[in-house]
Amino acid sequence: MSDTVLRARQVARRFGSQIALEPTGIDVRAGEALALIGPNGAGKSTLLALLAGALEPSSGTIERVDGVPVGWVPQAAAFYDRLTARENLELFGRLEGEPQYARVAEELLVRFEIPADRPAHTLSVGNRQRLNVALALLGSPRVLLLDEPTAALDPGQRRRLWETVTALRDEGGSVVFATQNLEELELYADRVAVLQRGLLTFVGPTAEYRELHAEEIFT
Amino acid sequence: MLVRSPLLLGVLIAYPLLVAGLVGLVAGYGSSKPRVALVDEDHLPQAVSVGGHRFRIQDAIDEVGKNVHLVRMDPVEARHALATGRVVATLTVPPGFLADLKSGLHSPSLVYQVTRGGISSRVIQQVQALVYGLNRQLQTAYVQTDLKYVQLIVTGGRAEFGGRTYDVLGLARMQKLLQQLPPGPQRDRIAEFARIAGVALAQTGSLLGATANPIGLERAHEDSRSSLLSAQVQSYALALTITFLALLLAAGAIASERDENAIGRLRRGLISMGELVSAKVALAAVVALALGLAIALVFGVIVEAGGVAGGEPWQRLPLLAAGLLVAGAALGALGTLLGALARETRTASLVAVLVVMPIVFLGLVPREVVPVAGWLSDGLPFAHAVRYFSASLYDASPWGTVARELVWLVGLGLVFGALARLATRRLLA
Repeated sequence: MSDTVLRARQVARRFGSQIALEPTGIDVRAGEALALIGPNGAGKSTLLALLAGALEPSSGTIERVDGVPVGWVPQAAAFYDRLTARENLELFGRLEGEPQYARVAEELLVRFEIPADRPAHTLSVGNRQRLNVALALLGSPRVLLLDEPTAALDPGQRRRLWETVTALRDEGGSVVFATQNLEELELYADRVAVLQRGLLTFVGPTAEYRELHAEEIFT
Repeated sequence: MLVRSPLLLGVLIAYPLLVAGLVGLVAGYGSSKPRVALVDEDHLPQAVSVGGHRFRIQDAIDEVGKNVHLVRMDPVEARHALATGRVVATLTVPPGFLADLKSGLHSPSLVYQVTRGGISSRVIQQVQALVYGLNRQLQTAYVQTDLKYVQLIVTGGRAEFGGRTYDVLGLARMQKLLQQLPPGPQRDRIAEFARIAGVALAQTGSLLGATANPIGLERAHEDSRSSLLSAQVQSYALALTITFLALLLAAGAIASERDENAIGRLRRGLISMGELVSAKVALAAVVALALGLAIALVFGVIVEAGGVAGGEPWQRLPLLAAGLLVAGAALGALGTLLGALARETRTASLVAVLVVMPIVFLGLVPREVVPVAGWLSDGLPFAHAVRYFSASLYDASPWGTVARELVWLVGLGLVFGALARLATRRLLA
């Protein structure tokens, strides 16, 4: 439970002169769900992108223990609009090194009920988000990083997404999710990390977080 | 927005000026007949007689007008026209020109003035060609007149000098008269001299012709291509097409990775930024190859259907294909750099279109006219592609040019590719 699988060591990120994330250290442990919370612009998406390897840190390092595979669901859909959902899944499946990429793509299409053969730009907002999540599950990740994954989903889709996420955690995988939804935090998070203006101000168990006044964080 | 971005404002102002300047240069050079003012201060008559040969002035103008467009002007008008650029040169016939020419005592001179700037060297060449053409006509007249005198010495006859008519004996008639004299060594010696002199003078015509024109130039009859199918047109058509295509395609393709947010997902160790740049370069190269070959095939079919001789429409296709691939890659690398710098697909496409025109115009401006344009063009793939295509399709021995341009294209591709790799960081910001 306490084995670290992903570690950020004093990672910081600047965009030009703007500081998106001050030097931050955080461990992601096996079998836990870690919630990232904080107001808009606090640096949650930046930290997740750094953990995912989608961004290079301006300073500090990210360590993947034993090269643990990581899946990433960015806040904005990240796939090719002109390709169909199936083509996107097969393309990224091949890039992820999935030997049975066509079979895996088919399984994900069925599991997330995504229209398979329509160009991605014609999909509804909800279907696009489901494709975004499905892409993150390629390559059998042991760590899943989700950036406000349920924002565009209806209640049924949200439930199915959390079923997938908790199943991964129950199998010993790790989940890090950014959210503005405090109910999700209560239901699914084992630990909470609070970011404010690029600074990590709190990391601890959800029970300990409850003792803080969440409202103060978002003022 | 323009106030907030002085750079954009500067580009919007400078760009049309740059394109207009380049178009002006190209168009100015492209005129096959520069306008030259003819200032006749000697008041040449309609026809003049020089060396016993009658010249019509308009005929001489028509003859030289094949190379330059001569426009008669008075001195003031000519100066103004030269200053305002309506003519690129003035050619003045100074007072006393015809008198000096007729006297044969010394050669008169025409005086020319040329505009400053890149085209001056070409205009000087045209003016020199004009004087060369006039000299050729005068030489022919002088030679013909001289030959008449020689013929008179050989055969004898009536001739006019200084308004008086003379009966010239001539060598042939002298020999007949000698035969009527009593034989003797002195008569035989004079007769031998007359015979040898006659033989020698008979060669004078060809000798005079050779002296006037030691080297002649003849145009052999051949089946040549029409200008539409010329090597230059084909080369420019190929280079222009793939420049537009490769730049736009590569710039749009790399920028769309950011627009579609796929760059972040790819960046997570799925592929490196170098591989991403290489993929865009390869895409541009392959599409340039396909389209370039299609164009070359169309030209080849037209050449075959028209039964036009010359050129190597089919045999050189493999060499052309190699050039299309490498030129497409070099242009693709430049396009990828532009796309990475622009970051957004629409901006990248606009930037690519804006950049294509100066690149092409720089390649069209002859190096001899504006050396700076030549140097700048050396740093861009378009001109090298044109030279490669021209050599590979039509040069009898293309290997030197092909190898040199190939090295240039590969080098430029590597430089632009490396810069594009660095610029991809902007896509992640």
